[in-house]
Amino acid sequence: MSSVLNIKDTGIRFGGLVALKDVNIQVPEWEIVGLIGPNGAGKTTLFNCIMGAYQANTGSIEYRDRDISLLPTHRRVALGIGRTFQNIGLVRGLTVLENCLVAQHPRIGYGAIGALVGAPRSFSEERRLKRYAMEVLDFLGLTHLAHSQLDGLPYGTLKLIEIGTVLATDPDLLLLDEPSSGMGPDEAHALGERLLKLRKTLNLTVLMIEHHVPLVVGVCDYVYVLNFGQIMTSGRPQEVQRHPEVIAAYLGGEAEGTSEEEASDVPA
Amino acid sequence: MTASATEVMEAPGPTLEAERWSPSAGGWTARLLVLAAIFGGVIWVTAIVPNYWADRISLAAIFAIIGLSLNIVLGYVGQVSLGHHGFVGIAAFVAAYYATEKAGCSLDACSFGTFMTATVVAALSGAVVAMLLGLIALRIKGLYLALITLAYGFVAERSIFEIPFLTRGGAGMPATRPDGWGTDREFAFLCFFFLAAVIFVDWRLLRSKVGRAILAIKHSESVASTYGVNVTSYKVLAFILSGIFAGIAGSLLAFRAETVVSNDFNFAIALLWVLMVVVGGLGNRVGVIIGSAFFALFPFLIVLIGPLDHFIRDTLGREPDYFTIVIGSALAILTIIQYPGGIGEQVSPITRWLGGKRFSLHAEGHGGHKPKEAKAAKPATGGLLAKVGLHNEDGTERSDEALAALGRAVERPASHDPGPPPDVWGALVGGKKKGDER
Amino acid sequence: MRTGIVIGATVALLALVLILGAGDDGGPNAYVVIGIATGAIYGLVALGLVLVYKGSRVFNFAQGEFGTVAAFTVFVLMEQVRSVDIPYWAALPAGLLVAVALGLAMERVVVRPLMNSPRITLLVATIAFALLTVGVEIVLFLPEAKVLEPLIAATDASGNPNGVEIFNYILEPQNIIIVGVLALLAVVLGYFFSKTDLGLAVLATSQDSFATRVVGIGVERTSRFIWGTAAFLGGLAGILYVPISGSLTPGAMTSGILIPAFTAAVLGGMTSLPGAFLGGIVIGCVQSLANWAGNTYTLTIDDVVKPLQSIIPGLPDVAIIIVLLLVLLIRPQGLLGSEA
Repeated sequence: MSSVLNIKDTGIRFGGLVALKDVNIQVPEWEIVGLIGPNGAGKTTLFNCIMGAYQANTGSIEYRDRDISLLPTHRRVALGIGRTFQNIGLVRGLTVLENCLVAQHPRIGYGAIGALVGAPRSFSEERRLKRYAMEVLDFLGLTHLAHSQLDGLPYGTLKLIEIGTVLATDPDLLLLDEPSSGMGPDEAHALGERLLKLRKTLNLTVLMIEHHVPLVVGVCDYVYVLNFGQIMTSGRPQEVQRHPEVIAAYLGGEAEGTSEEEASDVPA
Repeated sequence: MTASATEVMEAPGPTLEAERWSPSAGGWTARLLVLAAIFGGVIWVTAIVPNYWADRISLAAIFAIIGLSLNIVLGYVGQVSLGHHGFVGIAAFVAAYYATEKAGCSLDACSFGTFMTATVVAALSGAVVAMLLGLIALRIKGLYLALITLAYGFVAERSIFEIPFLTRGGAGMPATRPDGWGTDREFAFLCFFFLAAVIFVDWRLLRSKVGRAILAIKHSESVASTYGVNVTSYKVLAFILSGIFAGIAGSLLAFRAETVVSNDFNFAIALLWVLMVVVGGLGNRVGVIIGSAFFALFPFLIVLIGPLDHFIRDTLGREPDYFTIVIGSALAILTIIQYPGGIGEQVSPITRWLGGKRFSLHAEGHGGHKPKEAKAAKPATGGLLAKVGLHNEDGTERSDEALAALGRAVERPASHDPGPPPDVWGALVGGKKKGDER
Repeated sequence: MRTGIVIGATVALLALVLILGAGDDGGPNAYVVIGIATGAIYGLVALGLVLVYKGSRVFNFAQGEFGTVAAFTVFVLMEQVRSVDIPYWAALPAGLLVAVALGLAMERVVVRPLMNSPRITLLVATIAFALLTVGVEIVLFLPEAKVLEPLIAATDASGNPNGVEIFNYILEPQNIIIVGVLALLAVVLGYFFSKTDLGLAVLATSQDSFATRVVGIGVERTSRFIWGTAAFLGGLAGILYVPISGSLTPGAMTSGILIPAFTAAVLGGMTSLPGAFLGGIVIGCVQSLANWAGNTYTLTIDDVVKPLQSIIPGLPDVAIIIVLLLVLLIRPQGLLGSEA
């Protein structure tokens, strides 16, 4: 199976601080790969490099065998990479529906000039975009919030909306930054089921930053562990979970992290 | 009121979409009648008033175009432009120069075709000058960009407007009104035509990916680029569009005055234009049009009130025109501090109704609709919070709202909660019909 | 330390220009003198701008109008009050008082309500306030030019010039006073902000208003103090400059002085008071030397010899915007500033 995403020897430094060094990660097609590590390890920094928000100093990043290291962010998105943010990546000043409309930006079938002069194509495209956006919202059970502003909506709802917008970009590769943060065990379990279903129905490949160990163990096919900007180890989730250095890196680990009972909760 | 007062630049932006509830046939008829009355009224007034009134009305239309041009930078992009007199003035001189020096308009006659070409050329010049500012705006933002726009206009005033071949020095560059549109009344209708065109483009702007992209960029560049928006291109495009509108206004001003003099374009008028957009309501098309027209017509409105006019002219010995600046800036201060949505917000119940929504004093998604807050429960596990920690990956601090949101969201499973929002997770667990069918 | 080096370097540079041009009649020396004289005014206004920026993190667009208002007050008291003959030394403090009152009014009406708003909102509010002031000036005094006499007349009773002659240029007494006032303020303000408790408190507030509130320093009081002082400085600049500018019109200080003053503040560093002085002098010299270059250098086009300034009109002002752009693009924190 070919790699959808191939991160080679990637490194980045900010002034004197080396945030990432010699990072090598392969994400094969249709796999859900986990990226775990303690806080400050550099996981979100790596995502920023993959997306183009940061420019890596060394190494290269390949998407479907194509070097995207020098492409600007919006071009990478157009190629099919979608990403969620730790702090909710939504545009706060726009409504829920508007966010879903903007999210479809790379897939819009009319040009800017045509739009401004009122070309007929822009009218029909807009209708199509709106229909699709409403479908996504319907799928998530959020149609009643379509015209709501984002302020004041609960954190969990915002997370859900963000999933909606990232799906609206029609991605092949999904970069999820702590999708289960803020969730209790039951919700995280449900999220895991959802991810597996989406992977199947939408042919997605996923690279996921996660802290919630049962979710990682249950959903990921492979896991990389990042610590102090370097890949410490990698392997199948069960192995990594028991790796002594990994446990030590998490500073003694919490009950949530190493309990046997919770591990058995999770679907195979 | 001060609590809600502060965010002029963050005032509720333009709403992009219509909604599901539709008015009845009777409802639509009522709306159409009101709209017809408004437009008809404006046209009828322009048709019957004396000529010097019509001249002022054309100024109102031109100010509205300038307002919409500034609104793109101020309201949609979110930056302050204090040098718009530069764009408009340069375009005015270019239009006049083209008509008189290149296309052979005389002091008596100028063909309509020449006028249109001159306007196109002026629009292009506005686009180019604005594009330069747009490129600068990629690197410099906020207060410092405002300073640069001020200096931009300053240079236009002190340097470009002094170029002899362009401006003919103090005498000014002539621009004869086109044949067939020469009277004040006819020219006013010509200005209306251009205003309508500008409104159309602005309407299509907001209803399309272009406007959405620009607004998304204003609120969050990083999220916008993750949505696939080319931030650089759309920022510059916004400035170019603003320049095109400004160019059109410049050309109209040139042919309205029939002689372009640099005195007409000074920094005071640029600041006044900014204030009129603020009073109109940033990002609000209707408000900006009304506000701009008000600023242009203000002295004439005083004239309408006989006793007041008499008092100002005779008792005080002053021209009513002098008061435009005082009243305008006072209104601007009032708007910023008390009514950040400006005129646009005040008339929004009417504009929303005309747009096909039910009449209500609040917009959907604001005011009336209150999403239920998830109950703040005690944190599920200290471990989760500890692991999440107080810092983001890059070492930056988590914002206060994110922390608060965490506290709110870490709650008991859906079965314990009566409120709707937690039940969306039930949608995940139970699975909605459509998703399961795939 | 760094301040000393930068100031030293600038002085050395200026001295170099003067030495190189000495004895050369068409040389730039007179222009440098003029530059320093006008630069002193820019520095005075820039001081107020930097003070406000340090205190409220905003650009005060009304800074120029504090000066115009003060000048108008002096004018009214000296020229228009017929019943009593009011001497300059009485009118001057009155003018400053009015300016300070305006500054405090502005602080109360505009700055305080918007203390927690985005800075751009406050910027637009200062613009509105400035324009309001100009509007009132127009209504009260009509859009005409008036004349305000300088502190010490430029010529004595028999028409002989009163000033000092340097490099074939006669420096009016008013100019000397301006430079002197600037130098005095440099010392006073420098001492105040580094050695006195109140001064340090003001600086602290500007860095972090929440923390200072916790410590017990009155944020509202320091805000009033800053705006009052800025208005004082602006008023002083107006009273000193208008007599030599040639005319007193509504908006006089804003249309002519504010932009060079802003550039001076940016060049010096918006957070640096010594920077404001330095920036003022430098911008004054840049403007003046650009003027000299425009007069001196020529281009030959079609066999016609034209001075540079007829090809690029307004060269001095173009030079200023070039400096502004360069500073903001290359080193936004200016020469002596501490943040971008």
